[in-house]
This record gives sequence, C-alpha cells and structure tokens, in this order.
Amino acid sequence: MDSEVATRSIVWIGEGDCHDCVLLGGKAANLCHLAATHRVPPAFCLTAAAFDRALTRRPTIDEHASLASLSPDVYAELSEAYRGLGQRCGTDAPSVAVRSSALDEDGAVASFAGQHETYLNIVGPEAVAAAVVRCWASLCSPRALEYRRKHGLALDGARIAILVQQLIPADVSAVLFSANPVTGSRDEVVINASWGLGESIVGGTVTPDSYVVRKADLAVVSLQVAEKRRMTVMAAGGTREVDVPRFMRDQQVIGADQVGEMTRLAMALEERMGHPVDVECAYHAGQLHLLQCRPITTLIGSR
Amino acid sequence: MPSAEVMQRPEPVAIAAPPNFPVAWESPDDERLSWTQDRMHNPDPLLPLERSFWNIVYAGFNRAAEAYEMPTRIKARPVNTYYYIALKPAVSPEEVEAQGKRADAQIDAAMARLGELWRGEWLPEIQSHLAWWDAFDLRGAAAPDLLEHLEETLKRAARLWELHFRIVLPTYMAMSQFDDLYRELFAGEGAFRSYRLLQGFDNKTLEAGRALWELSRRALASAEVRRTLEGHAAGAVLAELGKTPAGRAFQQELRLYLEVFGLRGEKWGLSYPSWIEDPTAAIKNLKDYIARSDRDPRAEQATLADARDRAIAEARERLQGYPRPVVERFEFLLKAAHQGAVLSEDHGFWIDFASTHRVRRLLLECGRRLADAHAIAQAADVLYLTLDELRGLVGEPSPGDHRSGVVERQAEVRHFRAISPPPVLGTDNGPPPDDPVGRFFGKFFGGPPPAPEAPSVLRGNAGSPGKVRGPAKVVRSLAEATKLRQGDVLVAETTAPPWTPLFATAAAIVTDTGGILSHCAVVAREYRIPAVVGTGRATAEIRDGQILEVDGDAGLVRIDPV
Repeated sequence: MDSEVATRSIVWIGEGDCHDCVLLGGKAANLCHLAATHRVPPAFCLTAAAFDRALTRRPTIDEHASLASLSPDVYAELSEAYRGLGQRCGTDAPSVAVRSSALDEDGAVASFAGQHETYLNIVGPEAVAAAVVRCWASLCSPRALEYRRKHGLALDGARIAILVQQLIPADVSAVLFSANPVTGSRDEVVINASWGLGESIVGGTVTPDSYVVRKADLAVVSLQVAEKRRMTVMAAGGTREVDVPRFMRDQQVIGADQVGEMTRLAMALEERMGHPVDVECAYHAGQLHLLQCRPITTLIGSR
Repeated sequence: MPSAEVMQRPEPVAIAAPPNFPVAWESPDDERLSWTQDRMHNPDPLLPLERSFWNIVYAGFNRAAEAYEMPTRIKARPVNTYYYIALKPAVSPEEVEAQGKRADAQIDAAMARLGELWRGEWLPEIQSHLAWWDAFDLRGAAAPDLLEHLEETLKRAARLWELHFRIVLPTYMAMSQFDDLYRELFAGEGAFRSYRLLQGFDNKTLEAGRALWELSRRALASAEVRRTLEGHAAGAVLAELGKTPAGRAFQQELRLYLEVFGLRGEKWGLSYPSWIEDPTAAIKNLKDYIARSDRDPRAEQATLADARDRAIAEARERLQGYPRPVVERFEFLLKAAHQGAVLSEDHGFWIDFASTHRVRRLLLECGRRLADAHAIAQAADVLYLTLDELRGLVGEPSPGDHRSGVVERQAEVRHFRAISPPPVLGTDNGPPPDDPVGRFFGKFFGGPPPAPEAPSVLRGNAGSPGKVRGPAKVVRSLAEATKLRQGDVLVAETTAPPWTPLFATAAAIVTDTGGILSHCAVVAREYRIPAVVGTGRATAEIRDGQILEVDGDAGLVRIDPV
C-alpha cells in the first residue's frame, strides 16, 4: 500500500486513490465506492491518521476543546479542506454534515455512541472543527475512557475517521429498499418519501408517502399518500423538526418521474453492490443526490 | 376526512327571535340557515330603496362566487328594516370538499395575477362606468331618458358589485392565507407579525388622508383662512370662507379636493350624503390638522416600508434551507398579499364609494323631480320608495302622491332604529369551518365578541399594536366626530374608510365590529395608533370622558374607575 495514503489526514471522496485508504472508516469508504458511479455530495474524510496525530500528546479529549490549540496542523489541514469543499460546492461557506465514520479494527468501537455522531448544517471552519472535536471526544473523553475501564476494554485502539460532506438542503428526502422489507419480495422497490431532510423519515417522526414499484416494468403497484405532519429543515447552526404547513401535508411529495428515477437508482445500486440495498437519497432543486447506501440487514426469506 | 368534520360539528340550535323583532320565514330551509346582521357595513335600518341596492350588492357576490366555482352563496333579506345575510351551500354536502378545492385553484389563479388584472382589466372597466355616469346630464335629461338611465344604472351597478367581489375575494384571501402560512412557519410571534411584511404601501384611503393633510398646510399659508378654520365650528366654516378673497380661493382648493376624494359618504350605502354635498367632516379634519405641525405622512409611510423590507429579508433568511414548495408558496402569497394590501382599500374607493355616489346622485335627481311634482315631500324621501315604485313614477307626467306611504315607512324605520337588532337569526350552526375562507371571515369580521369578564374590561380583537391612555369619545356618525379632540380615544361601531383621517387626531381606536383584517385595523396600523376592534359592545358600554387604556396587542380596553 502507498504509505503516503496511509498517513494522509484528508482524503477526498470519489477522487484519486480514495479506495486504497483503509483509514476512512465504513461510512466514508462506502461513499468512495458509490461516488465512482453516482451523484454523491462533495465530501472529504478526516482520516483516523489525523485522529492519531491529535492524540499523540494526550490520552483524553474534552468535547469543548479547540482543535486549533489541540492540534494546529490538523486544524490547518481541516480548514484548507473545508475551503476546498467550498470550491467544489461553488460557495464560500458551504453547509456540511459532520459524521463519525467508524473503523472496525476494534470491535468495541461498534458499541460506542462515537460510531454514530452526526452534526448537521455546520458552517465555517471553526464550527466544523468544533464538531470534529466532539466526534473525537465521544471516543476518548474522560467519561468514554472511564466506560472502557469499567468494561475491561483496551484504553487505546479505538479510532474513528470523520466524514465532512456538503449538506443537501433537501426539498424531499427518501429511503429506498431494493427489496420489499415487509414481504421479502426481491421483485419490488419500496420508496418512502417525505418533505425536508431524511431525519424525520429515518427517525420515524413522520409517516411518509409510500410507493411499491415493480422492477420488471417500473409500474407502481401501490401508493399511499400519507398526511405528513413533520419535517426536518435547516435552522441556525443545525436542523429543526417543524410542522409541515397545512397546504403540503396531503400533497404527494414526488411525481411519476421521480418515482422512476429513484426506482432505477435502487436497482442500479443493488446490482452494483451485489445485494439488496437500503438507500438514503434527497432531491434538491430537481436533482437527486445519493447520501447513503447499506445492505438491507433484515430480509424475510432472503436468498 | 370530510365525514369526520361533519361529525365534529355541533348540533344546530334554533334561535328564538325576540318578541319585539318578529320574523316571518319564507321557507323552513331559510330558517335553518344562520342569518347575521352585518354591523360593519350595514349597521342601520335600511330604507326601501336601499334594500334593493343591497340586493344588487349580494347578487354581485353570488355571480363572483359562481365565477370562482365557490361552494357557497349568500342569501340576503331585510328583517324589520335591518339587513341580514346567510351563507348557504351551492352544492350537496358530498361535493363541498371537491368544489372547495376547485374554488381554491380559481382564487389562486386570480391571486397570481392580481396586480395585472386590476391594472389591465378591472380598474379600466370601473373607470369607464364612472365616466359613463359623469357624462350624463342629469338635470337636463328628459323624463324617458332619465328612466332609461335608471335602468342602465342598475345594470352597471350590478356589474360593478360582481366586479367588487371578484376583486375582494382574491385580495383578502391573499392577505389572510399569507398570514396563515406565516404563523404556521413562525409560530408564537404575535398577531401582527405577518402584517408587518405587508405594511407601508400607498392606497387610496391613505392618499385621501394625506391629500387632506396637504390641504391643511395650504390653509396655514393664509392667516385669514387659518383664523376662519380656528374660529368657527366645522359646519359654519364653508359659509365664512365665502366672505373673503383668500377664503374663496381656499373654497376652490377644497372643492378640488372633494371632487377627487369627496365622492364618499360616511358609511356604506345610499343614504349618507357624500362629502362633496356636505364637507363638514372634511373641514373637521382640517381644523384638527392646522393645530399640528408634527406630522409627515410621507415619512411615516417610508418608515413603515423600511420596517416591512427588513421583516421580509429576515423571513427569507430564516426560510433558507426549507423545502422549495414552502419557499415558493411563501413568495407567491407575499406577492399577492402586497397587491391585496393596496386593493383592499382601493376597491372601496373606486366601487363601494365612487359608484354609490353616482347612484345616489341619480336617485336624488329623481327625488328632486318627484318632490317638485309633490309625489314625495322632499328629494331625499326618494329612498323611501321601492324600486318598482320608483320605476313607475319616474317619467310619469303626473306621478301619484306617495307622501303618506313615505310617512308610514319613516315611522317603521324610526320604530326599529330604536331597537337593537339581534346579531343572529334563524339557526346557530356553530362557528365557521376552519378552512382558508372561514379563517378569512374571522379575521375580517372578527367572530362573535368574547363574553364579558369584568365590568370595566372590554375584550376584542388585536387591531393595531401599542398601548395608550386617553379620554373616550363615542362617535356614532361623522357629524358627532366634531367632538373628537387630539389625544381622545375614538370609540365607534365601525370606521369606514372616510373616517380614517380622524386617525391622525385620535390616540387610539376602539370599535364594536371587525377583526385584524378589517378596514379599521389595517388603516390604524398604517397610522400607527393602537386599535382594539370587534369588542361588540364598546359603543353601548363606554361613555364620553371616561379614561380608557387601550392595549392593541392584547385586544383589551380597560375603563378607569371614576
């Protein structure tokens, strides 16, 4: 392996040799794979190597620590990468999502909250740095280390990478399944779509519009338009879940074209990945963006 | 969903008419409707000819409602000289929801082009009718021509009132729906916040007030005119002005003002003399204005416009990152509501008052001729004839003597003027539905006034923000308005647009009728004085001289104990 790649702090998703980097964690590595063939919002990964470097001088990180004083080098690289992200997005101060991307070398990482840290609508290098520190701290704050001690886990060895990705201010978000998770049928794609960011669908606070589409001919075999009462929108410094205005609650969030587009996306991803997929995507200004793609873990009667 | 709504509606309750107010129902269906007296537009007993006039008004509503495919029509009828209206469905209950959606789409389509429709179609048509009236020589017309002019007048009035409702429905729905959406998006900011984004636009009501203020500056330019205004009661000023050259010159200026802005009576309807017939109300305002030098109406409006632009920028900032349909609907309604803010006053100037003035002028000419022929005692008595009687009399060389009939009808009107009409007759069918039209009605008319809580506290609707204390003056007509002094709280049943120049003199306004979208509230906000509207009983409870604390934000009026 290229040793330069192995020690880099910043790896750009979908560019160059990102596939070769084992320090990206699962989330970012997955996106690298997908970015080759799909529209994924521009992103970079602050690798586990950066995490190592920041930790060389101290065993713990306080979640309110400043990255600039913690590790000026990493801070400088992060700021420059954020600027580069702005260039790729076409705006000076893009709004980003900052997410933990767990490395699986240490199986204990999976049981930590640190695996699932997410900060949305973060703007500016300072705010991004603060979010990064909070992600790191979830793994090695004094409290996190105390937890490890109590459970007899190794105090070192837990490492994470951070994914910093342009946040799509979604008009409509959707969760797609390339197999029917209820019936187990492999012949159908299921689409659950609703207003705003996908958090309300994934979090279960809204009943989305639901489509079942036959793969063979893209025919909609069932459609349920729900009364969509809640949506997640961008708000100052983050996101907020708000009531959906009355006039939109009973409106179908997507039309026939978008149903077709998302069905084809789910099918293409299933083919690419070689297994049924659970996809998160979002529409903004008429364009479909792929956000995440995972295997469907629980399928009745899966082959 | 529709069936759930039907199930939730309360049981209808029959309303017993008071013994001094008997009602003969034309059909059981009629009795099952909820008939309200529109105290805002029609507080007083109607004379026979006025009833025909208001029938024309509401027939206009129904034609507009049909054009917009609305599921509702209005039935209107006099009861004991007062005028009552009821809403009734135009389609079966199962079809109401679907029809309502079609109406929403039609009104949306008009909202999308409100300014364009006004400038390109509606206003030109209105002005052509007004020009047609103004071109007719009333005095010189031969009797058959006058009769023909009368018939043509009725047709044009019918068309203008249809236009009136074609205009006001999208106009007010735009403002009301903008407010609905704003409060859904930005909850908890108080009743007025959305209207800040609509304030500071010029309109005919404000223009009329500003022109009167500017006339007062010209009055101040002549010491003579100033002395005349200061030294005489409003009713005597006009005659006094005629005694000096400077006074006569000012009479001309006043005349020019009245020819543009004086073709308005003090309330809606035919029986109120226009200011050009009797300028006392305008002169009262001039008297108040010359005592002040601290106002700059244009600067006030610019301040309101600046605040509006800032509020809009702030709202847009907060909506960044919201789904596009939200932002699009917000911008659509904002634009339509901006046009609505102008048309909500302008339509009244051009149709309600300007066309009514022309109809009144024609009727008074008919009355003059009938009085000359001793068919009636005086010209103004023409309003005590029915339309059919009038048609039969105009053009008759020897019209029959109707004087005793008029006397009987005058007695009937006098009798019922002394009785407070019940606010509702027929059946209480519960509150209006919680849909865009129902909400608009509530914001314009104000809904039933809240129950009294303490004897010295009146609750109404927040009309215009701010808190102020001042002595009350209960004003039932513009003739009574001469008692209003700078800093007084104007207490009135309602304030039609011609009352609004008084808003520069009054410290606050309290009314019996109206909600946050009533003319009173909208204009009070432009004059930046507090207003509590829709109290129901302010004119009955409050007495001149009582010190009131008016809290426009809370919709509360406190009467100081003596």
